[in-house]
Amino acid sequence: MNVDMEERQQDMCPICKTDRYLSPDMKFLVNPECYHKMCESCVDRIFAMGPAPCPYPKCGKTLRKNKFKTQIFDNIEVEREVDVRKRVSRVFNKVREDFDTLDDYNKYLEELEDIVFNIVNGVDVEATEQKLKEYEESNKPNIEENNAKRQKELEEFKEQEQRKHDLRMKKNLIERQIEQEAREMKELEKKEIINTLASGDGTQDATKAVSQVRKSMLKRSSARRKQLDEIMQALNSSRQAKGEDKKHNVPFTPFNGDRTSQHNFDIHDSYYDPFLDELKSKKEYIASGFEVHAVYDRVLTEAFTGLGCYIEQEKKELNDAIV
Amino acid sequence: MSYTKGESTAKKVGEGTYAVVFLGKQTSTERDIAIKEIKTGQFKDGLDMSALREVKYLQELKHVNVIELVDVFESANNLNLVLEFLPSDLEVLIKDRTLLFSPGDVKSWLLMTLRGVHHCHRNFILHRDLKPSNLLLSQSGELKIADFGLARSLGSPNEEFTSNVVTRWYRAPELLLGAKHYDGGVDIWAVGIIFAELMLRVPYLPGADDIDQIDVTFRALGTPTDSMWELVSTLPGYNNLTVYPQPTKQELRKRFIAATESALDLMNDGTLRNVS
Repeated sequence: MNVDMEERQQDMCPICKTDRYLSPDMKFLVNPECYHKMCESCVDRIFAMGPAPCPYPKCGKTLRKNKFKTQIFDNIEVEREVDVRKRVSRVFNKVREDFDTLDDYNKYLEELEDIVFNIVNGVDVEATEQKLKEYEESNKPNIEENNAKRQKELEEFKEQEQRKHDLRMKKNLIERQIEQEAREMKELEKKEIINTLASGDGTQDATKAVSQVRKSMLKRSSARRKQLDEIMQALNSSRQAKGEDKKHNVPFTPFNGDRTSQHNFDIHDSYYDPFLDELKSKKEYIASGFEVHAVYDRVLTEAFTGLGCYIEQEKKELNDAIV
Repeated sequence: MSYTKGESTAKKVGEGTYAVVFLGKQTSTERDIAIKEIKTGQFKDGLDMSALREVKYLQELKHVNVIELVDVFESANNLNLVLEFLPSDLEVLIKDRTLLFSPGDVKSWLLMTLRGVHHCHRNFILHRDLKPSNLLLSQSGELKIADFGLARSLGSPNEEFTSNVVTRWYRAPELLLGAKHYDGGVDIWAVGIIFAELMLRVPYLPGADDIDQIDVTFRALGTPTDSMWELVSTLPGYNNLTVYPQPTKQELRKRFIAATESALDLMNDGTLRNVS
């Protein structure tokens, strides 16, 4: 019951008592002056004639209509802190690169956090606001320059993302076309075969016709492939340019340096082995993915394991290294 | 070498059908170890097969991404395996919804898994039970393959392997269809499915039973036909199959929204290796 009431309260404008149940399009707005919540129509009604006091009892703050906004976070405390942070960081807008040492930067951040904390928690609000204002006055050109820089960076980033997105879309399109063409080719081939067979000529003609169709299709698909490769290259290069900044000095190796690169023997394609040859032709072996080459590899590896390892010598070297 | 076993009630970390696991400490190095006490006696045929297999194969394998078998000893009619103690596994992480996986996490886990599997395969050992709960994680984040209870060496090719291996959801198509002469592909398939699960955070192909598993697998990845997989229709399990078309790249991309292109390609390769 209690919960029910609370929920109703949540969905009801405290000023005009309009219920969400009755007007489903109702939107709540808050003003960063006092964060008291009211519905859109109330805002329109009360503040249409210019600034007016907040309708909440005992609030009395003067509010302006153009400052009202939709609440993003459920928790009003969070909403407030985010707003304050936004406002302060517009003034305190330096980044790490603007400082010579990390210590200086940390000090700067500390100062920023102090201001945010004070304003949010209502500690020395006036003094803090004063401090903020003074800082803004004295560093005005700097701040503007920084803001312009940030703006530019943001735009560049967006542009880059857009470019990447476009490339990706193009790539998808081409891939789809390739798939489609492959399907068409199969259809066409089938038709061609049926046609030639139906007309009663020998099979020779059928294969000829098919190869002709295939040739023309191949030309088209290879052109598409080329396009695709170009796009992939462009995509990769943009990624690489980013990676270079980080400078990974350790090269990546898939096996972590631990791989048997060379056998002490060569594997031939086939050996005289009636036993394996028989298995090779058995249906159930083929269907299971049995590969005779893998067996040769295993058998030979096991036969030659240990050859080329000189234990005495390795022991000696190890001892020498320790001494 | 000597070990101290904590009080059995407090330090018992797990109990399976055939073993109890205790947490202990190696006295010489002070490191944590897990002691797996194999229950004997209740089996009239002697020791459980999987215990033997585990000892047999782990003794041969030494690799950073494979669990280390420190020692084996016998006490009061019990066989005890001393393994390194690994506090977590991938299944726990996948199920913990508060954790977010970054692409780097998934990449490194996959890489470590593949390194471990590669090591097994180059020693001609099939694991045959790869799944997230068998990929354990150490304190420092190293991934190690564990549980060699179903492992088997690629012995002489005329032996028949049972196709009733690998936990159902990670079973490769040749196993589902009852092939008896498979190879490393079954492990690679499982790795591919684990990769998909790491991205989705839910099992990728959860079949309800063996028949359903065939259906689920082929619905997602297409039914193999003789034209792309030689003689597949002669496998004992290949009858009355609904033929699903191969999924297009578009469909896969929709299923794995956050996956990058190369990730999709890799997954595809993993799940298709046997076919080509």
